[in-house]
Amino acid sequence: MEGAAIDYHLFSQFLISGIIMGILYCLMSMGINFIYGIMKVINWSMGEFFMIGAYVQYLLITYIIGPQFWFAGILIAAFVVFVLGAVVQQLLIRPMFVGIIEAKMEYATIVTISLAIFLRNMAVLIGGPYIYTPPDYAGPTQLLTLPISGNRMVGLVGALIILGIFYYFIKKTWSGKAFQGVAQNRSGVQTAGVNVLKYDTLAFGLGTALAGAGGALLAPIFLVHPMCGLVPTVRGFEIIVIAGLGSIPGILIAGLSLGIAESLGSAFINPSFVDIYGFILLVIVLLIKPYGLFGKPERAV
Amino acid sequence: MQDKRTPFLDVKNIVKKFGGLVANNNVNLQIGKGEIRGLIGPNGSGKTTLINVITGIYEPENGGIYFAGKRIDGLQADVIASMGIMRTFQVARVFRDMTVLENMLIPAFCQGQSRKEAVGRAEELLDFALLTRLKDTQAKSLSGGQNMLLQIVRGFMNRSLQLYVMDEPFAGVHQSIKGIILKSIKMMNDEKGVTFLIISHEMPTVSTLCDKVTVLAKGELIAEGTMEEIANEPQVIDAYLGG
Amino acid sequence: MNLLNLKIFGLLAVVAVALVLPVGLSEYWQYVLTVSFFYAIMAASWNLLGGYTGQFSLAQHTFGMIGAYTSALLMDKAGAPLWITIPAAVVLTMILSLILGIICLRVAGLYLALITWAFAEVVRNYSRMHYTFTGGDRGLDAPLIFGTLQPTPYYYFFLGLTILVVAFIYVLMRSRIGFYLRSIRDDAIAARSMGVNIVRYKVLAFIVASGIAGLAGAFYGHSIGLISPVLGDFNEMAMIIIFVVIGGMRTQAGPVVGAIAVRITMELLREQSEIRIIILSALVIIIMRFFNGGLMELVRRVRKLFGRDREPVSAYQD
Repeated sequence: MEGAAIDYHLFSQFLISGIIMGILYCLMSMGINFIYGIMKVINWSMGEFFMIGAYVQYLLITYIIGPQFWFAGILIAAFVVFVLGAVVQQLLIRPMFVGIIEAKMEYATIVTISLAIFLRNMAVLIGGPYIYTPPDYAGPTQLLTLPISGNRMVGLVGALIILGIFYYFIKKTWSGKAFQGVAQNRSGVQTAGVNVLKYDTLAFGLGTALAGAGGALLAPIFLVHPMCGLVPTVRGFEIIVIAGLGSIPGILIAGLSLGIAESLGSAFINPSFVDIYGFILLVIVLLIKPYGLFGKPERAV
Repeated sequence: MQDKRTPFLDVKNIVKKFGGLVANNNVNLQIGKGEIRGLIGPNGSGKTTLINVITGIYEPENGGIYFAGKRIDGLQADVIASMGIMRTFQVARVFRDMTVLENMLIPAFCQGQSRKEAVGRAEELLDFALLTRLKDTQAKSLSGGQNMLLQIVRGFMNRSLQLYVMDEPFAGVHQSIKGIILKSIKMMNDEKGVTFLIISHEMPTVSTLCDKVTVLAKGELIAEGTMEEIANEPQVIDAYLGG
Repeated sequence: MNLLNLKIFGLLAVVAVALVLPVGLSEYWQYVLTVSFFYAIMAASWNLLGGYTGQFSLAQHTFGMIGAYTSALLMDKAGAPLWITIPAAVVLTMILSLILGIICLRVAGLYLALITWAFAEVVRNYSRMHYTFTGGDRGLDAPLIFGTLQPTPYYYFFLGLTILVVAFIYVLMRSRIGFYLRSIRDDAIAARSMGVNIVRYKVLAFIVASGIAGLAGAFYGHSIGLISPVLGDFNEMAMIIIFVVIGGMRTQAGPVVGAIAVRITMELLREQSEIRIIILSALVIIIMRFFNGGLMELVRRVRKLFGRDREPVSAYQD
């Protein structure tokens, strides 16, 4: 590449690839952010719900509904994870809000981290330390200048659809607005008759379902194994740190930036350590704005 | 030596905003040394905000606060505490996992008192407050009223206490505890000349306790004077009834 | 025998046993205990920062790793002897944690966890990426302190270090600094209003906790001979949290007891590597949800049951 002008074609390919990955990672961040918005809790086990979604999808298309119905599988997997998330919330998180638990933040962090470890090891115990490969969702295709696998295309379109539906739900439907209300003014909304605890459970279920849908959707890309949720988790949290908690458009911007940074970094600097580029971006952002680009500062003393 | 004409606590043109909401709108207040001043007003009138500005929890957008002639707005809460200004919170903020005695020691340690000194004084104060049997109990086991009392006597551990700002010290508190609180305020005022600024909704108590009363409504100061004087002012009546 | 004498006697008994233990123990188990001591120190130092002061950092293991790498690299690249590399490792760790601590001042609770998490990941990735310097995933050789692979000298060394660290933290938490730290955790705003310099003590907690981790990590590196970025894995941090919770957060003995007990249990269950972790993580969840005190709380309640019921209920437990 010395002396030559940047190959725009190549550059655009990497750019598009980065954008795709960025959008895929945003699914996780949306889930994390949504749960945080409602309950002010960071769920460190999101990656494991992603993994469960992937496993459920694999089981569905391999043994139950067949590979041609993969799109139905994603919905079913998302629903299964939703239920699981709701149950977990009822058992473990809800006590925080009905006066049983004292040190809330500490509790939430320790419990969700432990849950992550628990689920991950359960997966190894039940399914074995194997990597399962689901069949491709679609054949190779092309997006603008970039030839991509069918899975990526499906992943991209699927993620955009899910994000779109989620956005519509939050902004335009009554329930969505109720969620917004709970996030903005928990006690105020209670006096207006909203059953906050019910919304907590739904929110947690919904947030984890986003991760589960992501896992099912991206199963052919990330493959299905106990650790398959790790990378999405790391990316998901990176995006949250860069964007700051509380801003949906911020997440999209941060997600795209992360994806692009990774893609261009791997392409033009060094492909062996994809991980580092996102973190360089993260460090730069944090030095300027510790709450993230769009984060809302909580009053720290 | 402090000039008699200079108010002990001088709140000048304080403006405090939260986004679009103006919680304190050009509030002016002067308190003389040794006074017990009441701060009253309907809910949402900016009382708590004002004392948060005074004690360094908030920084005002505009205006200044002077304590014994020194400017204190914008200073951190711990610096203000070291200057002899203590405060209590509307919802009692005690150190829940620490014992009652340990709670008492904190302000003393901050002042550099030795442990022996501090424990001695703490036990005295706890005795006065009838909390002695609870001294080794974790604060989280105490009732709300007991915690309010703990908050208050904890502040008295500051040996150089000159101004004590209290936010609703009597709210929801049992009669007997209220009695102790009143006794301690009067004692500190008489014996040590501590100045008090007290927010309260309990008019009868404010009436007997406070020398003068300042009335806030919707972020502004609308009246000031003795209880009798302000009780009949139309804007005060209006503020409470009008809402 | 009053309570204090009982505690002192108990403590001395434990130490005496620990001193004599290697005689009857296989080399393998001496090694296991040595590693447990290292984790005990890591757990105790995190308890100081995350438990007592309430700053839930997710980068404690990272400072151990930084200590290990600094010492090993200084020895490797600059030929410096141990008595220089160890203090240098501690100093570097403290400087880095000072920066991190100051950044974290401006953010509250959850953000602190996020930022320290990010810091941990950055450092881990860096050590993997810059492999020509750090040895990357292949690892870095760290010359052994005692020049031998015999575990016994390391056992005593780490036992001594653990006792020193525990004693230090004990004295610290008994002092007024300990009071300030606990008050910050309980209610930072109230603490500030009482005159506590929040900034100074929050940062102090960071520096001290990290310095201890760096010290332990540096020695640990020179005890196992090979260090790698695995030391910075999130899993290491999760284990530290597990040790502290099972042993009892915000107690003096909890982190140490937790680390040693859990590590021994893990060794005993060597064969079932998933089951042991499943049990542990489930145990942590159950403790947090229902019991919240860990082993030390259990001990306290048992003691209470046997009649010692007018014990002072300070959250600050010995």
